[in-house]
Amino acid sequence: MTDDTGALSIDFLVGFTIFLLAFIWVASMIPGIMVGLQSYTIDYDAVAYRTGVILVEDPGWPVSPPWESFSDFQKSNMTRFGLAVSKDTPNILSQDKVNRFFCTTFVYPDDYHTRAIFGDYPYGFNISLKDAAGEYQSVGSITPLGYGTIRRIVKIKGPSNATIGTGNYAKYPSFYNKTENVTTHVFSFLIDNPRLLDDVKNPAYQIDPAREQLTINVTDLRATITDYPTAVPPIENMTSTIELVNVRVYKKEGALYSNVPLPASEYPFVNGSSTRVTSMPVPHTDNVTIKLTPYYFDLMKAQNCQIYLALGFNVTPPSTFLNNTQALPDFNNLDAKLTFENVNTTPFNYNYEVENVTQPHLRDAVLEVAVWSGGG
Amino acid sequence: MKNSDGQLYTIEGLAAALVMLLTAYFVINATSVYTAGDTHITDMQLEALGTDALRVMDANESRLTGSPLRNIISNVTFTDNQTFGTMFGNLINSRTGAAADHIQYSASYSYRDLGDNSMKSMFINASRNLSGGEHAVRATKWVIANVKGDGLPGDSSYIPGFSPPQNRSVLVEVLLWRD
Repeated sequence: MTDDTGALSIDFLVGFTIFLLAFIWVASMIPGIMVGLQSYTIDYDAVAYRTGVILVEDPGWPVSPPWESFSDFQKSNMTRFGLAVSKDTPNILSQDKVNRFFCTTFVYPDDYHTRAIFGDYPYGFNISLKDAAGEYQSVGSITPLGYGTIRRIVKIKGPSNATIGTGNYAKYPSFYNKTENVTTHVFSFLIDNPRLLDDVKNPAYQIDPAREQLTINVTDLRATITDYPTAVPPIENMTSTIELVNVRVYKKEGALYSNVPLPASEYPFVNGSSTRVTSMPVPHTDNVTIKLTPYYFDLMKAQNCQIYLALGFNVTPPSTFLNNTQALPDFNNLDAKLTFENVNTTPFNYNYEVENVTQPHLRDAVLEVAVWSGGG
Repeated sequence: MKNSDGQLYTIEGLAAALVMLLTAYFVINATSVYTAGDTHITDMQLEALGTDALRVMDANESRLTGSPLRNIISNVTFTDNQTFGTMFGNLINSRTGAAADHIQYSASYSYRDLGDNSMKSMFINASRNLSGGEHAVRATKWVIANVKGDGLPGDSSYIPGFSPPQNRSVLVEVLLWRD
């Protein structure tokens, strides 16, 4: 007797096989639906775009004092690299920030990854900048095939600076020179922060010592010595000895003056040297360059105060020299009120006068960010 | 003896299953978005470039000079059209590497004509004529420009002036594309 109990229907077998095949087929098809959206370059392009935005539209963090004013030893204070002058001026980069960003003392990729690229993935990257004059700066590796990129067009705000030289001396001899033959001469500058911030509001064109480095070059010092060959001893500017005695800094807050120490990190450069002097007095000084960093202005809380700088010189033999300050009672015991509110003192005003100060100038540049995989 | 054991009775069922699977396949394929993954990225890059270029052209070089874009819009002459072309072309095609890019553009601006209260559009400059087949993206910038021309009837090609003249906003629009 035939019995079909336990027999497997061939219909069921075929149907189940077809179902399984179809299920496997459909299941394998599902990831393919997303193929159109699956691209590595999307991620790289997005990271490049984000980095471009951070660099071009953000001033970085901290803002005051700005991150670029910290030394390598204070690197931990730098939270985010941003190159914009301020958050209100996208696409306008600060020269100081650019210089610091591309400096050789930062470590690639670690220093940049945590402050500009971000993310846990170890991206490789190359960030390059070329200005209209063709000056090229970059950081990072050579770009491999298959990288994400963004290109941003920017302007770089050049710093303001003042150069005092023979042109000034010839134009305003009585302003820059004292006619008496004496040994000690004092030349002073006024940095009127409240006026600087008030006269020009737009950060793109503003002179703000608390945000950007301030540079004053005093050149052709010998030209201010009037030859007097018949004097005893004879005075000849080529053979006279010029000594930079010291640089004194005074802060005027309200009506009160206070003497602010000048740290060694703010000491001047002399005779065209690329490094600051390590001590003063400096014998044999032909020219002096003062570079005051935003960090110093922040340190002395001078963002809204007038700052007076006084350069003291000793000239041997006694002669005429660069001098616009009636230092009272003397340079070593300077009374700021008596000195700077004296009718015989006319400090060089670092302001928006084009004749005095080279104003901030914007120049075109292009910034490119390339991002890829692997940190190579 | 012939019987029906082992026969596949449901050939219709098999056919129906295949039809359903094919249908599902076509439906899924039809509803999948097959945009090329990077298309919107390249569009974004072009748009960012165009916006940057207009923004940079509208920035004064110094406190004592005017915005080049504003000057161009305020004094449209043949020379100024070429000035725009030179400046804008150089900006969008400049790269940090040696080779320049090859991005094309067509620029115009629009404004409100106070005479008949209508919107007017003026062509500025183009690196190549639009044929309609380009995949172009748009970048725009509002520019405050001076009233143009001397207000005489012959100045119909300029922005019709107020009396007295005063600044007004115009919308500069640039289409950018790659060959």
